[in-house]
Amino acid sequence: MNEHPDWTGEARAVLEDSAQALDAATVSRLNQARQRALAGLAPQRRPLRWTRRLAVAASLLLAVALLWPDGPPTAPGNNTGLPAAATLSPEDAELLAEGELELTDELEFYAWLDAQDEHNG
Amino acid sequence: MPLDRAEAPAARTRLDGFLRGVERRALRMAELSTGNRDEALDLVQDAMLGFVRHYAAKPEADWAPLFHRVLDSRLTDWHRRGKVRGRWLAAWWPARADEDEEDPIALAEDPAEAGPLARLADADAGQALDAALRALPLRQRQAFLLRIWEGLDVAATAAAMRCGEGSVKTHLWRALNALRAALEPHR
Repeated sequence: MNEHPDWTGEARAVLEDSAQALDAATVSRLNQARQRALAGLAPQRRPLRWTRRLAVAASLLLAVALLWPDGPPTAPGNNTGLPAAATLSPEDAELLAEGELELTDELEFYAWLDAQDEHNG
Repeated sequence: MPLDRAEAPAARTRLDGFLRGVERRALRMAELSTGNRDEALDLVQDAMLGFVRHYAAKPEADWAPLFHRVLDSRLTDWHRRGKVRGRWLAAWWPARADEDEEDPIALAEDPAEAGPLARLADADAGQALDAALRALPLRQRQAFLLRIWEGLDVAATAAAMRCGEGSVKTHLWRALNALRAALEPHR
């Protein structure tokens, strides 16, 4: 038994007719809207993400190597022969600054790649 | 929501079929709410994007109420924005008696009587029904369209409209009475 008044069946038929009678331009725009929405269904590429994270980690290791080319600085009174950070030459400091700048660029690049990845699938 | 590479093509096909099946009705629903096809197309596109982004991975059985939940949310936002824009007109235009109590006896249906659309020619019926639906308050119109046209049950309609099942029944009852009263003069 229909739980709604009988005339609602007529109303449904009238509404359905109006939906089926949409003009071609409107149907085309609906199709475009659907395709745009479905473009958001992007498969994840997890292996690539891990590759990039590994590359970032390697860049960080490189920065550490540039910071302490002869190992970590020694405490005062330690006679191991290794230089303290405070004794870095101006050339080392410049090299270090360049290294950090490049690393920053790399990080921005990887962030951009990730964003593209998410955007393009 | 991103999907695993293996399941993406199948999911896309299923979603495409679902959206293809619902998009025309969704557009007409939005058009009845906004009175403007371009606005309606924008809202339906927004709803599709939001649905795919947030609910694509949900069980297929839940897609219809979830899609209409997104669309209903967009329609509600559109009406809120319209109210803000039109606030300055309120002094000149009397507010519609949106949710006023109606006399249930005066509006009660006589089951023996033919429906209000029965004597209308097709074109007239479409125009009359459109006008009557546009005159309804948003919640009543949504309850009618989701229950009667989209065929959602009370629970699914309540989920789509973000309200209780009792509210759905009340909105629908009022909508049916208002539509019947509005369409009677076309006999």
